[in-house]
Amino acid sequence: MLVVRPSQFADLPSIERLLHATDARVTTLPKERDKLSEKITTSEDAFASGLDQDGPAAFLFVLEDSDQQQLLGTSGLDTEAGGGYPFFNYRLDEVVHASHNLNVSAKVPILFLSHELTGKTLLRSFSIEPSLKKTDAFELLSRARLLFIACLPERFQRQVIVEVQGIFDEKGDCPFWDGVGRHFFGIDFNTADYYCSVKSKTFMSELIPQHPVYVPLLPERARNTIGQNQQAANRACSLFYREGFEKTPFIDPFDGGPVLSGEVRDLHTVKQVRFKKARPSDVVGGLKYLICNRSLKDFRCTIGTLVDGIGETIRLPLDVAEALGVSEGDPIAYAPL
Amino acid sequence: MYIRPVTPADIEYLYLMAKNSGIGVTTLPDNRQKMQAKLDKAVASFKRDLEEKDRLYLFAMIDSDSDEIAGICALEASIGHDDIWYNYHVGKTVHMSKDIGVHKITRTLYLSNDLTGSSEICTLFLMPNFRKNQNGQLLSKSRYLFLAEHPQLFGRDIIAEMRGYSDEEGRSPFWESLGRHFFQMEFSDADYLTGLGDKAFIAELMPKFPIYVPMLSADAQEAFGRVHPDTEPALAMLQAEGFDFNGYIDIFDGGPTVSAKIKEIRAVRDSKLYSVKIDDQAPLPDLTRKDGLTLVSNRGFDNFRVCLVATNAINESTLHLSAAQAATLQVADGDSVRAVTLRPETTHV
Repeated sequence: MLVVRPSQFADLPSIERLLHATDARVTTLPKERDKLSEKITTSEDAFASGLDQDGPAAFLFVLEDSDQQQLLGTSGLDTEAGGGYPFFNYRLDEVVHASHNLNVSAKVPILFLSHELTGKTLLRSFSIEPSLKKTDAFELLSRARLLFIACLPERFQRQVIVEVQGIFDEKGDCPFWDGVGRHFFGIDFNTADYYCSVKSKTFMSELIPQHPVYVPLLPERARNTIGQNQQAANRACSLFYREGFEKTPFIDPFDGGPVLSGEVRDLHTVKQVRFKKARPSDVVGGLKYLICNRSLKDFRCTIGTLVDGIGETIRLPLDVAEALGVSEGDPIAYAPL
Repeated sequence: MYIRPVTPADIEYLYLMAKNSGIGVTTLPDNRQKMQAKLDKAVASFKRDLEEKDRLYLFAMIDSDSDEIAGICALEASIGHDDIWYNYHVGKTVHMSKDIGVHKITRTLYLSNDLTGSSEICTLFLMPNFRKNQNGQLLSKSRYLFLAEHPQLFGRDIIAEMRGYSDEEGRSPFWESLGRHFFQMEFSDADYLTGLGDKAFIAELMPKFPIYVPMLSADAQEAFGRVHPDTEPALAMLQAEGFDFNGYIDIFDGGPTVSAKIKEIRAVRDSKLYSVKIDDQAPLPDLTRKDGLTLVSNRGFDNFRVCLVATNAINESTLHLSAAQAATLQVADGDSVRAVTLRPETTHV
């Protein structure tokens, strides 16, 4: 059975293997072992410290096949984008250049550097075994985070955002980076991306151009990729749109990919979530649900079938109860798949 | 050939000249009404009817044989007073990260009004049939003697805007890469409008935020700060007098601005006063030669005159002039005149 659970230090080699196997760029998950283990430790602390902890916390989940003990994906969730440091975006805005005398009026698109999204809840670090991309596992791994938020709304901001990967060409070059960031960082995208994951964020503040960027001055290739997501991210995007996320005027300052945003209380998963007590049972059937226990440290989330009804309790398939580690009377949460 | 202030009667010639100057000489509008306004301003300036900072000193070069106007040149007392003076300042932004070993200098264009209050040498135009016999040199440099004679009427610094690079079809790469995005008009139209003194539209349409140079097209990056090929001799002439690029460029065509401290311009600094001696034997200038020529002016204001004489007409503190030369300069025996060699003595431009 596929289960989402908090990452542990022992997952390190498996996560490394996974990152090498997937083609997606996971900026927030470094391939470098030291840094990766740091991320896992940070996450372990976040899961261990519970609700009392103040300040930023970064949760890292893994998707595991509990029968085969095989790690198949990762997804992350930060209580505060930037983790106490500035979170950088460009905001796509417009300035109107008009002259009454000359009867000229033009809206000129312009990119302003922005820290506005600093401190919002951030979904990040999504990676999945390529063979699972088109299965329910994709949704499980991504939405488990939303169910987690639904269970602990007080720990998260009202606004949740996600950065979607921008456009790269066949050669792996990023037109937006080449038109903007490259001039100032003097390095190619992959190197910058690598530094981003392993170095402190200070270099971002030091190198990112502070003046607004007039979009018409950018090469056409770069202009065309502003706010556009990589085709490989279509599935992720449509999932977020279904959840109630929307495109924002913000884009990733490196690859120009879109930033999606949603209000926690309006998200599909959050609106549909039910909290009940489990009654493990072998009489089951019904519709597919995303189901999780109510533990923080031992959080588990999986997909199972339920027949929702009235009352305080709900029957839970035995294998699901086992995967979630719940027994009779334990609280669970669930939302339709 | 001699230089004198313009007069109201010069309007027809000036208009003809404007039609001949073509694109790029923004201070010569091809528009009769505006030209008339410019001439009126100059006439009022020489009458001292305008405040000093508002004055425009427009001079005409006259062919003594035909009394025809061969060219014009001007001095603006102080720029940016009754309008807004715009340039891009070519600055730098440095990005550095010790952490990842990056140190990157990015040239950055800042819209500025920094040159407001400087004096300006401008509006130089010489009719094509008179482009010979040192006429260009005389026309351009005559202004230095006016500056030397009346420094109190000008600022400390003087600038000259050089026409920027454009190709054979009059296409300006700098404009194509920058201004066009904001103005939605041809360079020649924008240029025409500025020439008319219609600068409000610049403020309305220009990008206000700094521009990172690497974001301009490659040919625009190469073009800015470069002068039009036709303007290269003029630039060399200014540089030989002590003008230097001051880090400001034209916002339309990217042409460089050069500047100098007025008192440090070679022809101002080295000019000296001489006493006139009318002398029928005075040596006459050989205008076919580059050397041996000296600029000489009277010390007047509204009757200011400049012409070329032979350098060897100077004998210590005395300048020997023929009766005709003295008449041209409107000076008499014993009057004081100002003179300086036409070219710097060490370099030949």
